[in-house]
Amino acid sequence: MRAFRTLSPWVLSTTLLLAACGGSDPDVPGSGSPSGAPTAPGSFSAVVSFGDSLSDVGSYAPATSLAGDGSAPFFGGKFTTNDTTTGAPTATPLGKVWVENLAASLGLIVTPAEVGFAGTTVQCPAAAAVPALASTCTAYGQGGARVTDPNGIGHSAGFATVPVVTQIANHLTRFGSFKSSDLILVYAGNNDVFTQFGGFAAAAAQIQADLAAGSISADRANLELFTAQQTAQEAMKTAALELATLVKTQILAKGGTYVAVMTLSDIADTPFGNSPEVVPARSVLTALSQTFNLWLRDGLTGQPVQIIDTFALYKTTYANPGQFGIVNNTVPACDAAKIQAVTGGAVTDGSSLFCNATPGAPYNTIVTDADVNTWQFADSVHPTTGGHKIISDAFAAQLHAFGWI
Amino acid sequence: MKTISSLLVAAALAGSAFAVQAQDNVFKIGATRYDTHAKTSGIEGVGVPPGADVKVGDATTVIFVYERLFGPNLGAELVIGIPPTIKAKAAGSVEFLNATGTVLETENWSPTVLFNYHFFEPGATWRPYVGAGINYTKFKNTKSSLAPNAELGSSWGPAVQVGIEYAITKDISAFASLAALKVKSKVVASDGTVLTTTVDFRPTTYSLGVAYKF
Repeated sequence: MRAFRTLSPWVLSTTLLLAACGGSDPDVPGSGSPSGAPTAPGSFSAVVSFGDSLSDVGSYAPATSLAGDGSAPFFGGKFTTNDTTTGAPTATPLGKVWVENLAASLGLIVTPAEVGFAGTTVQCPAAAAVPALASTCTAYGQGGARVTDPNGIGHSAGFATVPVVTQIANHLTRFGSFKSSDLILVYAGNNDVFTQFGGFAAAAAQIQADLAAGSISADRANLELFTAQQTAQEAMKTAALELATLVKTQILAKGGTYVAVMTLSDIADTPFGNSPEVVPARSVLTALSQTFNLWLRDGLTGQPVQIIDTFALYKTTYANPGQFGIVNNTVPACDAAKIQAVTGGAVTDGSSLFCNATPGAPYNTIVTDADVNTWQFADSVHPTTGGHKIISDAFAAQLHAFGWI
Repeated sequence: MKTISSLLVAAALAGSAFAVQAQDNVFKIGATRYDTHAKTSGIEGVGVPPGADVKVGDATTVIFVYERLFGPNLGAELVIGIPPTIKAKAAGSVEFLNATGTVLETENWSPTVLFNYHFFEPGATWRPYVGAGINYTKFKNTKSSLAPNAELGSSWGPAVQVGIEYAITKDISAFASLAALKVKSKVVASDGTVLTTTVDFRPTTYSLGVAYKF
């Protein structure tokens, strides 16, 4: 008995020690965070932006040639409420996208890296006009661009849709490496959402047709819908991990120091997301962004970057429009019928790429009474000038919170 | 594995420290019904409909028990079973997923150390006993038809049992026991989505077998 008494505390303490070792719960992917990003203010000489239409500062302007032959002047070119009061889209006080606003707030100029349409593109057109601007062509974002798939949205219609993987490679080709004075902004994946959502919608339509025809049971239909959604989510996971790898191996490993990576917002919170054909699958649309964000976070865990969570930021704006000076976040400010008329019937979807807000201009395509500063959306997904201002303000606040500016 | 082997060492040490007396080693073998009585926190994950859940099934296995007796009434035993496979079916709003088969399947490794008090004197025909101790549960070879990477966290928890032995000969007896364990495990399954739930197992095991004293 004596030995038992002396021994049992040892047994117990060993057990407690083992229990305390813990760590037995499996890790939940995406629950970590980046670490080790700079905390001191940067001395920025360039804003280097990679992404899609939200970050596009005029890649496709020649598609909006007034003469119709790709030559200037252009009446559009950015996915917002373009304003051509002084001629060129990028030189006007209105119609700026968030990348330009953010650069301007740092006293910097940023111009498109590649401009063109229908197979003819020019690298750094700003340098051709003014050689001193050669270092400003660091806005790589292109409408329709995906993370790695070169076949972006609109590619077959003549848009270059240079994927982010190539955008980054082009920067490295041109500049050799990233600099610690580059403010690097990576905001991609929206077109992967649209592509995967399109795939899901097509599958869902077929499943519903089969169900209506009585060829499958309701349970079978549910299962097939679940599977279709999983397939779309897996593709989003792949895209997110590819983007995280690009950030690690092609930006951080190549000298990138101040790197901000954006999550995707909830695209359900747009006129597109609230359109009658999308409403039944809104939750799938939301899940695609969430899946991307989860795996992006997972891929960037422990990496020296900062994440700007647009999902949370845009939710706040969408839920509290008044606080951000927005009076309308449901109706696009660009008039699809007017755009169709101005483009001679070529553009029927109301794309803001062709939307112009210049007062009195014959190619003005703004909805009567719409205000590009107080209406949030230019078209079904892209922000107006006011919408972009909210984004750049929010991002600037984040960069300030990081201690970078 | 490190934690399990440490526990075995601890149990072995507990045994070896005592003066040997006649018939203070007992080896038991038996069949066990493992009623999981599991409750979950519901399945959460991106793209998972609200109200999704799983229902955890029961299992049957064979257990091996080594008990070291310390004096006439006390003993310490280590219970190890052939790991039963526990299966879970989809429930709640995602019941339709069962068409794909078992949504979750896992092997339950569950060594338990119990300190027992045996009533009556050695040699009595009927000897009831009660015990309390600690259970370590580890889940291995977890598979899910929903996500290729599925893991269940391991668990430490208390264990209690009541049992009775019936002496057939001096060396051989039959036993029956009822034990209750507390096992809590976090489940994470990841693929395109990441599914998480916490399963609160309150398993009751019913065992029946033979014991050999030497």
